[in-house]
Amino acid sequence: MALTGRAALVAALGVVVVLVAPRPGSALAGVCLVLAAAILVDLALAGSVRPLRFHRSGETLVRLGQRATVELVVENPGSRRVRGVLRDAWPPSAGASPRVMRLDVPPGERRRLTVTLTPTRRGDRESVAVTVRSVGPLGLAARQGRHRSPWAVRVLPPFLSRKHLPARLARLRELEGRHPALVRGQGTEFDSLREYVVGDDVRSIDWRATARRHDVVVRTWRPERDRRVLIVLDTGRTSAGRVGEAPIPLAGAPADGGGPGSGRGARPVPGWPRLDWSMDAALLLSALAARAGDRVDFLAHDRAVRAWVSGASRTELLSSLVNAMAPIEAELVEADSRGMVSAILARAKRRCLVVLLTDLNAAALDEGLMPVLPQLSSRHLVLVAAVSDPRVADMAARKGTAEEVYDAAAAERTRLDRRRITARLRRHGVEVVDAPPDDIAPALADAYLALKAAGRL
Amino acid sequence: MSLTGMGPAETRQSAPASPTARSMWRASRMAILLGLLVVAAAVVTVALGGGAAPSRRLDPDDTSLDGSRALAQLLRARGVSVDRADSVTRARELAKGGDRLLLVTDTSFVLDPAGVAAIPGDRVVVGDLYRLDLLAPGVRSSAQVGQRSREPECPLPAARAAGSAFMGGAAFTVPRGATGCYPAGDDGWTLVSLPNAGGTTTVVGDGAFMTNRRLAEDGNAALALDLLGTAKAVTWLVEPPEEDTVAGPAGQSVYDLMPPGVPWAVAMAAVAVLVTGLWRGRRLGPVVTERLPVVVRAAETVEGRGRLYRARRARGRAADVLRAGAIDRLLPRLGLAPDAGRDEVVAAVAARTGHAPGQVGAALYGPEPADDAGLVALAHYLDSIERTVGEH
Repeated sequence: MALTGRAALVAALGVVVVLVAPRPGSALAGVCLVLAAAILVDLALAGSVRPLRFHRSGETLVRLGQRATVELVVENPGSRRVRGVLRDAWPPSAGASPRVMRLDVPPGERRRLTVTLTPTRRGDRESVAVTVRSVGPLGLAARQGRHRSPWAVRVLPPFLSRKHLPARLARLRELEGRHPALVRGQGTEFDSLREYVVGDDVRSIDWRATARRHDVVVRTWRPERDRRVLIVLDTGRTSAGRVGEAPIPLAGAPADGGGPGSGRGARPVPGWPRLDWSMDAALLLSALAARAGDRVDFLAHDRAVRAWVSGASRTELLSSLVNAMAPIEAELVEADSRGMVSAILARAKRRCLVVLLTDLNAAALDEGLMPVLPQLSSRHLVLVAAVSDPRVADMAARKGTAEEVYDAAAAERTRLDRRRITARLRRHGVEVVDAPPDDIAPALADAYLALKAAGRL
Repeated sequence: MSLTGMGPAETRQSAPASPTARSMWRASRMAILLGLLVVAAAVVTVALGGGAAPSRRLDPDDTSLDGSRALAQLLRARGVSVDRADSVTRARELAKGGDRLLLVTDTSFVLDPAGVAAIPGDRVVVGDLYRLDLLAPGVRSSAQVGQRSREPECPLPAARAAGSAFMGGAAFTVPRGATGCYPAGDDGWTLVSLPNAGGTTTVVGDGAFMTNRRLAEDGNAALALDLLGTAKAVTWLVEPPEEDTVAGPAGQSVYDLMPPGVPWAVAMAAVAVLVTGLWRGRRLGPVVTERLPVVVRAAETVEGRGRLYRARRARGRAADVLRAGAIDRLLPRLGLAPDAGRDEVVAAVAARTGHAPGQVGAALYGPEPADDAGLVALAHYLDSIERTVGEH
């Protein structure tokens, strides 16, 4: 049950009535009784909320930054008209609008309402409840009831680095034997023989075949195919740190705040977690690797396996990856590198390229990954990709005042640690990609292409 | 390669989630029952106990702990009639009967203290009252002392018979010809007895020993009975009951001047406020909570370290780090091995930049800067070296 503003207005007018009435005591009793009676009549005549039925349809998947529409059909099997308002309650970060909708369903009919969701972060968003307030014919009181009408919308990572894909695919095509002279290199696979044309590398002439054919024949090469790439996402505490500027405004984040370089004193935008940037890079790499004919597996791990995607076909790879990534959040625990390495070794039987998306944090790596790295690098080719913080570079570059020089020293210290850990990783035969958030995805793709061109996969 | 395999998904069944009247009754009946029990218990207690009137201190009809009904009853049992007088006029009328003791516990309501002082006969004054100089000439309050059991230490028969009593409050000076009892150290006496025109005036510091609470302790009852039981009757002067309404000049209160509808309109306004509250207070659906991910900027540790350097003025550390970073970047540009010696680096940098080797050496390996300005200068010089080496 709920009262309306009209009931309050009537009660307020009652004050005037009581004030001017010749017998105020009776007037008070009369006004109150009339109001109470009208409210009761209104409640009795209002359309019943409990028997209402709801049906939903619409999108269940949406990319972060896009809109999803969910339709809600309200069916009124009762004998009275249901007129009033309806609220479809979603979690705040689902960005549901409008918040409250008008509702008018005659008996035996159904009406369709549309809710637009503009999610502000990844993950699964579920409708919490549908609340209907059915106002009586006098407009004084309303029946109110709540229904559960379950619907979930999965908000997928946005894959913003898609824009870098065409350029990398063009590079891949160059590798794929269309320009054999450029790619002849150690370790690439023998593809076929063909006639020599002017411009081919003389070193690729196959003299034995030339002797058989009375024609100059060259070997052609193509990059290896059907290699395995295992993308490992570290979802431990270091992945929660926010870097760069969020390309999509976060829930609760100031939309107008200055960027990291907008001067001292201005509150910097919280940015995007390293995890999301890493996911973006992982998606670009998998799209590229799938085109190149490699098999891509995906593992998310902190102290336990958070997600595992394996054996997805080339066409379904990206959709199964984004589905697996969508609900992953950074856990505020130290990642268990030993467990991560054993999880990798248990899953990757054959030699593969292990792309480890983590942070180059000297303290965390020294205690975690470094001791167990030889186990991994002896059997697999390891590539560590890390998102660096542009704010640190910004701090290191500012040296105007003494305060800024102290900050620059602190930033320099961090970068020095990062360079040292990078050097140590490289000594172990590990490839390292360390790039700011906007460049991490293309940088990782380029590192992959370079490995492929060099035939190191 | 579509990311989202979208398409209209099938509908699912909805279910009512708000509680029915029956389930609400089931869930809340225990609470309602308990509430009713509490209300019933309160009503019964009030009905049996009667309205507890506010206690009136040292009133012969008051049964509370601060009242003095016990003492009045004891006096009556000894054949002393106790008459309550709530005005000076009434006390004066009673005094005409003769052989009467006047007990004064408060004079703040008396408009005419001299009238009280004029009443003949024995008199007991309790406390340092207003116009004590009229009631007991020559007796002045000298100090406020704590209340406790005190010894009489005087020849007054009533005090000697009673022994120790709960005395205190005001301590008085003793004028010539008077007797002081129950001394409070050097501050004065808490009981003073002095002769007056038609009998004896006794002043005590406080009436606590006469209250229902203390009467049974020590020699309190004996002292009170001996002090008050000297005459056949006692006139007990008490505060008159308060007048409830203050009438205006024309005999009308502000309520009489209001139109008769106003109090009812106020009641109606209360109803309107209640209805408005119910209207605004009812929420349309639940408050939806959500677990949000933590928001922590990755650069916070770096900024914290910078603030620590700043707070400690750690010029040495800051300079070391800046130098190490610069050397780290310079080595590959100069074509030197990572473990190149100090002299080798200085020589290479000096050769490339054209600066004096001493200056370069001081910048790259020198002592810590003396002040913040020196640190800033060092940072700028390192930057310029890096730039020059990079350009060549």
